[in-house]
Order: sequence, then C-alpha cells, then structure tokens
Amino acid sequence: MLSGSDTVYVLRYFDLIGRAEGCRLLLTAANASWTEEHPEWPAEKANQPFERLPVLVERSNGDEWILCESLTIERYLARVFGFMPTDLKQAALQEQMVDQQADLAPAFMAQLMATDDMKSKQIDEFNTLLDRIVKEHGRILSRNSSKQHLFGDQLSYADISLYAFYKVYIVYLKIYQSNIDEIVKPKLTPEIINLILSIEKEPLLAPHLSKCDSMAAVLTSKAL
Amino acid sequence: MAANKNLQYTLRYFDRIGVAEGSKLLLSAANVEWTEEHPEWPLEKPNQPFGRMPVLIEKHSNDRDFVICESGNIERYLARAYGFIPSDIRQAALQEQLRDQASDMFAAFISQLVAKSEEDRKENFAKFDGLLDKLVEVQTKQINANGNIGHMFGDRLSYADIVTYAFYKIIVVGMVKRQANIVNIVKPKLTPQLIKLITTVEANPLLASYTARGDSLAAIVTKPTSARL
Repeated sequence: MLSGSDTVYVLRYFDLIGRAEGCRLLLTAANASWTEEHPEWPAEKANQPFERLPVLVERSNGDEWILCESLTIERYLARVFGFMPTDLKQAALQEQMVDQQADLAPAFMAQLMATDDMKSKQIDEFNTLLDRIVKEHGRILSRNSSKQHLFGDQLSYADISLYAFYKVYIVYLKIYQSNIDEIVKPKLTPEIINLILSIEKEPLLAPHLSKCDSMAAVLTSKAL
Repeated sequence: MAANKNLQYTLRYFDRIGVAEGSKLLLSAANVEWTEEHPEWPLEKPNQPFGRMPVLIEKHSNDRDFVICESGNIERYLARAYGFIPSDIRQAALQEQLRDQASDMFAAFISQLVAKSEEDRKENFAKFDGLLDKLVEVQTKQINANGNIGHMFGDRLSYADIVTYAFYKIIVVGMVKRQANIVNIVKPKLTPQLIKLITTVEANPLLASYTARGDSLAAIVTKPTSARL
C-alpha cells in the first residue's frame, strides 16, 4: 500500500450509485479514511476542475491533490492500494474488461432515448454488447482456478469493477428503465451469479456493502 | 519497465484517423516494428476478439501472441511499456485524466454529429461546445503550469502530449469529411499554448515516421485564417 496512514480521501459525487460505485468499493477495500460529499448541483458545477463528477480529493501532510474522471480515479486507487497487478500485461487484461463494460453505457442510453424508428436497432446493439461482456466475464472466470475471483485468488480491481457493473445494470438503472433487470438477469450464468455473490461477501467490502441492499435476493429470486 | 524493442506489433483498425490514432503515435514513438492491418469490415468482425477495433497484437514467437483491445487500454499499455507514462502513480493518473477528458469531448462531438432532430443537434452541439471550451481551459492551464514549453509535463514527449495531439487530429482532420465546419469551430478556440504543443509534438524526431505519413495537424492549426471580405 503506497498511501500514508494520515491520508484522507473525499469522493465527490451525486448521492447515487451511478459512476462512483467502483471508486467507493476501492476506497472501502483499501481500508482508506474516506468520506463522500454530495455537492449541490448544478450550483457547484463551476467549482469542479472539469465541471463534472466524480472528483477525488486526496489530502495528506496539509497538501491537497485532485483527480477527475471515474475510470482514471478507479485505476489510480487500484494502483495505490495494490488491487491492480504490477505486471503490465495482467493490468491491461483487467483494464480491458473494465473499458469493455464502460462501452455499454452509451449503448444503454442510445436504446433508452431512441426514437421509434431506431428503437429496435439500438436495443439489438445494446443486447449484442451486453452478451459479449457477459461472455467475456465467463471466459475469464473459466480460465481462473478460483471461481470466487476473476484473476488469481484475491480481491482484485477486476472483481470490484464486475460487481459494480452488475449492480449498475441490475439495481441502479431501474430508475431509468424499470425492466432492465429482467433483460440482464436471464443472461447471467450460475458461475457469474456465484462470482457476484462471492465478491459481495468479501470482508474487505463489508463496511460499504453492509449499508447497501444485497444483490443476493435479486439474483437468486425466480422470475414471476 | 525495460522495453523489449525486438517485439513486433500489429494494429488492426479502419483505414482512417480515429480512436486508434494515439496508438499509432505511440507505436511510432516507441520505435518498434509495427504494421497496420485494415480488416475488411464487417466481414472480419467475428474474427476479432470482441467484434470491434482497434486490436493490438504483440507477437511472441514462442508463446501465444498477446492480444488486447479497447483504444485507451492499448494506449496505456504501450505508453507504460515504452516509457511514455511515468512510473509515479500520481503523475501517471494526471496524464490518464487528460486522455479521458479529451475522450469525453470526442464523445460529445459524436453526439452532436449523429443527432437526428434539429432540436437534439442544437442541444448536443451546445454540450460539445461547452465541453471543448472547458477542455481547452484545463489543457492550457496545465501547459502554462509546465512553463509553456510545448509539453504537458516535463520536457520530453509524453503520453499526455500524444493523446492531446491525437484527439485534436481526430476531430480537425479525421472528422472533417463528416462535418466540414468543424475546423472553423475548433481552430479559433485553440490557444497559442495548444498550438505550440501541437507543433512541438509533430516536430519531435521520435515521430518522424508518423509525420511522414502526411495529414499534418500543425499545418492546419498554424495556417492563418483568411480575412473576411
């Protein structure tokens, strides 16, 4: 761990799962001293370095250091706290998975906002991309000897990111599209469900996840 | 990390200036042997690991080749392997941040380009325009903080320099066929600091093989705008 014990973090974001859950889980797993701020929006927009959230503020020895962009913040925290492999190729494989997951967000918005004439095409594209991501999760897992983790046998950046990804697409995005969970859940294999539930039980994540609804009930319920 | 300059690379992408541009710049600057492949599309789509491009193949004669996708990921891997991203984690993050910010701007550009209704196009253009202004502001601030010497950080070609150059090239050169007026929208916003960075990047001897391909961004951004009559 490369962070001093007197370093404190502030994560600025909306009071939503949104794009910050990976950051929250990393700060939690790191056992870092951190708090969350929910800036008044859009009143505080101009006070952010790039007028967007999330923003990470790192304070140590009287210094303040600021970082923006959700995935850059995640990769930074993952490296500082040892959740990213130091081997470049291994790191690239984890980052690849995370970037692929991120590709789904514009596809989700495109199908949500599509006009009638484009709706079915955009839904197809979303489903194709989602299928590919789920397939890739399964492929990575099948190649790992531990089935509680994507890589190796300890909690990694990839595990945390996968959990946050499914939380977004099964729980969070329901506020935008109420049937999103019914689209995503049937695509999950038993292996992926077990992986999600294993990550949820990681002791390192307990301080945050104990405050959230468990995905277990959602994932193991039978469709009505 | 000690780079093995005996490695060979293949970069698969469309024959255009797009999101693979940063990777092309990095491969050139790294002075490694590399070739570009333009797979027939969509015919070759199923033959790519994730049905998308770019794809980077690092050839290994004894083992399986190392294959990665996702443009930002390819860039970061090459930049780290060949010393264009610093090993200091904070300094690395500041460089990655600039790339993600430029990429946000590009995504906003695409949104206004593909908008269907006039109403959506106007709304999306306003978002793109605002984000571009903000990007220019943060980039210029960083260049000034580094002494306005044509580099974002330090005094050598870095990942941050390359990706800043790349995203302006994508928009001002790559996208001009799809939106002719983009040069007249972007160019006036470029500060002298950014123009200096662009010309410094293009003039770097490490990029001689890249620059020889043509499509000079520096020529476009330094060309005087003709006076209106």
